[in-house]
Amino acid sequence: MKKERISWIGLLLFFAGCALAALLPSPAAARDIKVGIVDTYSGPAAVFGNDALNGFKLAVNEINKQGVLGGKIVFTTRDEQFKVDIALNMAKELVLKEDVDVLVGTINSGASMAISEAVAKKEKIPFIVWTAKSENITGKAGHRYVFSTAENTAMAGKSAAVAFAQKPYKKFWIAGDDYEYGHAIADAVWRNLKKIKPEVEVIGKTWWKPGEPDLIPYLTAIQAAKPDCIIFATGGLSMANVLKAMKATGMENKFPAWIHTATDHSVLKPLGMNAPEGVMGTIQYHYYYPDLAANKKFVKDFQAAYGNPPGFPAFNAYTTAYFIAEAFRQAGKIDKEKFIDTLEGLKVDTPVGKVEMRACDHQAVYPMFLGTTKISKEFGGAISSDIVTLRGAEVMPTCEEIAEARKQK
Amino acid sequence: MHMEFNVSFSGLISQFLVGLSRAMILFIVSSGLSFILGVLRVPNVAHGSLYMIGAFTAHTLAMAAGGGVAGFWLAILVAPLVVALISLVAERLLFCHLYEREHLMLLLFTFALTLILGDLTKMTWGADYRSLVAPPFLQGSVSVLGTPFPKYNLFLLAVGPVVAVGLWLFSNKTKVGKIARAAAVDREMVGAIGINVSWVFAFAFVLGCFLAGLGGALVSPTVSITLGMDHTIIIEAFLIVTIGGLGNMWGAMAGSLIFGVSQSIGVLLWPQFAIVFPYMAVVIILTLKPTGLLKSVW
Repeated sequence: MKKERISWIGLLLFFAGCALAALLPSPAAARDIKVGIVDTYSGPAAVFGNDALNGFKLAVNEINKQGVLGGKIVFTTRDEQFKVDIALNMAKELVLKEDVDVLVGTINSGASMAISEAVAKKEKIPFIVWTAKSENITGKAGHRYVFSTAENTAMAGKSAAVAFAQKPYKKFWIAGDDYEYGHAIADAVWRNLKKIKPEVEVIGKTWWKPGEPDLIPYLTAIQAAKPDCIIFATGGLSMANVLKAMKATGMENKFPAWIHTATDHSVLKPLGMNAPEGVMGTIQYHYYYPDLAANKKFVKDFQAAYGNPPGFPAFNAYTTAYFIAEAFRQAGKIDKEKFIDTLEGLKVDTPVGKVEMRACDHQAVYPMFLGTTKISKEFGGAISSDIVTLRGAEVMPTCEEIAEARKQK
Repeated sequence: MHMEFNVSFSGLISQFLVGLSRAMILFIVSSGLSFILGVLRVPNVAHGSLYMIGAFTAHTLAMAAGGGVAGFWLAILVAPLVVALISLVAERLLFCHLYEREHLMLLLFTFALTLILGDLTKMTWGADYRSLVAPPFLQGSVSVLGTPFPKYNLFLLAVGPVVAVGLWLFSNKTKVGKIARAAAVDREMVGAIGINVSWVFAFAFVLGCFLAGLGGALVSPTVSITLGMDHTIIIEAFLIVTIGGLGNMWGAMAGSLIFGVSQSIGVLLWPQFAIVFPYMAVVIILTLKPTGLLKSVW
């Protein structure tokens, strides 16, 4: 008896709610902008996926105080588990079922390429890649519907090449993750270095499976070959493992090595005071550099909200949210084609100054910070030191090179 | 690009030793898996999850003790016990009701458990990478025939045989061990002569899981402790147990040595294709001897 009454009350409340919702004045044209996020939220890469999501949330909260075109930015997330097929299905689902206006994500270069080709291009949905770094995304595989707010392998490769050209190294060893990102970054460094300094040579290459836990056997084998310098074409988890193995095998300070994002704090933090020193790294964002008021505010707000300082994925995602908001504002309505037109060449304010979305290839223009790991007592671990800043224009392929690459494809 | 085989004798020896030390971790984990397979006939896919939990627990314990040497030893010794405790709860609540089920059912059940334990790990420890630091006397490297060799790997080389001998003594010299071995061969008979098989099984399960936890704790100074550690190790452990002979402890040892050494030597000889070497070894062994190298207890 009692149960029945409760369910009656529930039903009544439900209808009352429906009636109320129907009666409320719905803001006519002002609807919310739906952003669909596909990224990795489980497995080793989750640390970057979560960081990006936090950066995006922080920006969206700031943006929604004013709103965009009378509405808000709302978002929904999908965990692609670092798998290309899952990412593809989820992106399709977000477009077809959730009817999102913009797709963003992911950390997996392979997944980003797949979504770009099979969903963004086919369904004519703008897709902004925010962490994956393969230069092919906005390079030879680029098209009208894909954008990147991540720095890419071409930029990192050029930075490394510029750094190497100034050093006396001749014999190089290339070692890295056997997948899209690893090969793309190795290729980018070598292509650029060979152009600047033709006498360099590769004396050997090692490829391990992405996320290979124990890299000590690989590193001892490389040491035996005695290269002048090692190019590690690796990211995420493998990089933390490389740094650990370098320390364990006594390679730090003995073998010069470069790894893109080795100077990232999410990689260095867990190693604490035991991080190897003297490892060269490149990255487009540090929470402690450059020391600008806007960056300090961003770091303070982020720290207050999530308990740790932002990493580069958070910065990229934060910037992405502002690109989305500003492009829709300037477009004047929620229209995908108009959004793309305004996003091309758009400049937004970010914690490190204005960032431009280059019109010719849809690649965000970032400077690259080239530095060397160094233990800092103040930070309780290693940070990037002796930072040299390379401007975006110095490290990005030119628009002509992009056009040429796309034609060849 | 030209290939250059710049392989010196000392390089080969040092690489062989690195492979051996890696094999010790593989042995500790896979002998636990093999033990559970042999005695309980449970293909425990969740074994890898316990390895991961062992590593995370080791890190937490070491940090709680303020890091340093004491923290390290506390982590290595207590983390496996914590894992054993978790497995005891799982055994009494879940596994003990399922031993009579068919293998497919057990496979699905333990697979489901890996997903649950994976998510619980994420909820407990978060997605950040963690790193356990070896005590100062195990940091850095020593010179072996002129080639640097990590000190911690020397430590692993010493621990592996100790565990192997301990396991051998347990299963051959203790009553429980003998009963467990007997149960592996014929569990009805062991039950028929009046032995409480339920507790023998519980003990065997907990011991196997203890080894998973020990492997996780021991490996943590050499790798990053992360989500997803479970997947990598469980595939390797199953391959090792299969090539060694199901349920055979010395088979697990032989399988681990083959897996670890073929990987490290492969890395030295043909680094571009290093990934395939251990798997090639597995294929060759299973083609020549489908039941595994040593006698399977199944």
